[in-house]
Amino acid sequence: MLLISLMYACQEGTDVVESGTYQGTIKEVEPEKTEIYVETTDGKVLELYFNENTTLTRNGETAPFEELEEGGNVEVEVEKVGQRLEPIAVRIL
Amino acid sequence: MTELTFWRTEVWHPLTVHFPIALLLFGTLAKLVALFLSSSSSSFYKKMGSVLLYFGCLGAWISIYTGDMADGIVSRKICDPTVLKDHEIAAYNLAYLFSAATLIDLAVLLNFLKVKLKLISALVVLLMVIGSGFLVYAGHLGAEVVYNQAGGVVIPSSDCAGF
Repeated sequence: MLLISLMYACQEGTDVVESGTYQGTIKEVEPEKTEIYVETTDGKVLELYFNENTTLTRNGETAPFEELEEGGNVEVEVEKVGQRLEPIAVRIL
Repeated sequence: MTELTFWRTEVWHPLTVHFPIALLLFGTLAKLVALFLSSSSSSFYKKMGSVLLYFGCLGAWISIYTGDMADGIVSRKICDPTVLKDHEIAAYNLAYLFSAATLIDLAVLLNFLKVKLKLISALVVLLMVIGSGFLVYAGHLGAEVVYNQAGGVVIPSSDCAGF
C-alpha cells in the first residue's frame, strides 16, 4: 500500500476548471503535440492542447508556439467542454 | 466520402498494447504458481514466468510509446481527458514495477545476486502482483476511453454513407 501511495504521489494528475481566464506558470511544453501544462496561481494544473482556433499572443501580437517555455508566465482563456479544457486564447506575460 | 486510412497514428496503440497485457498477466500467474510448487517442479514455471516477464516488459514500454503517440490526437476529441491521464499514470506505474521485477530477475539469472534467493524471488512476484493490479486498472481505464468516449474511434454517419 505504501508503494502504491508513493507511486501515485510521484505522478501528478491534471485538474478541470470552469470556463474563464486564469493566470499561471508553464510547467511543461510538448511542442510535438502543441500542448502545455499550466499551473495556476491557486495550484491547479491545466493540460491544454492547442487547436486551430487557439490564439497565442505576446503584447497583443501573434506569437509562434516556440515562444512558450517552461517557467514562463501566461494568461489562458479556457472553455470547459464536458471535462475537456479548450484553450481559446493564450497570452504570454 | 474520403477513404479513411486504417493505419492512423492512434491505431498503433491498440495494436501493440494487448500483447504485454497477456504476457505480463500470464507471467505473473506462472511466477505465482512456481512459488507454491516444490523446487524440482517449479523450475519450468519460473523460467516461463521470466520469459513472459521480459517480453511483456519490453511490450509495455513499446505500448507506452504508442500510447503517447495516440494521446495528442485522442485527448483533443474525448469529453473527459482526465480518464486518459489516469490511464497514462497507471501505465507508467505498471511499467516501472515490471521493469524493477525484470531487473531483479535478470540479476538473479546472471548471478549478480546470490543471497536470500527465496526472498528475492518473493519480491519479484510481489512487484509483479502489484504491477498486475495497475495493469488491470490501466486496462479498465483504456476500455473506458474507447467504449464510453469513443477515443480513437471513427463513428460512421447514421445513414452509413460510404459503406
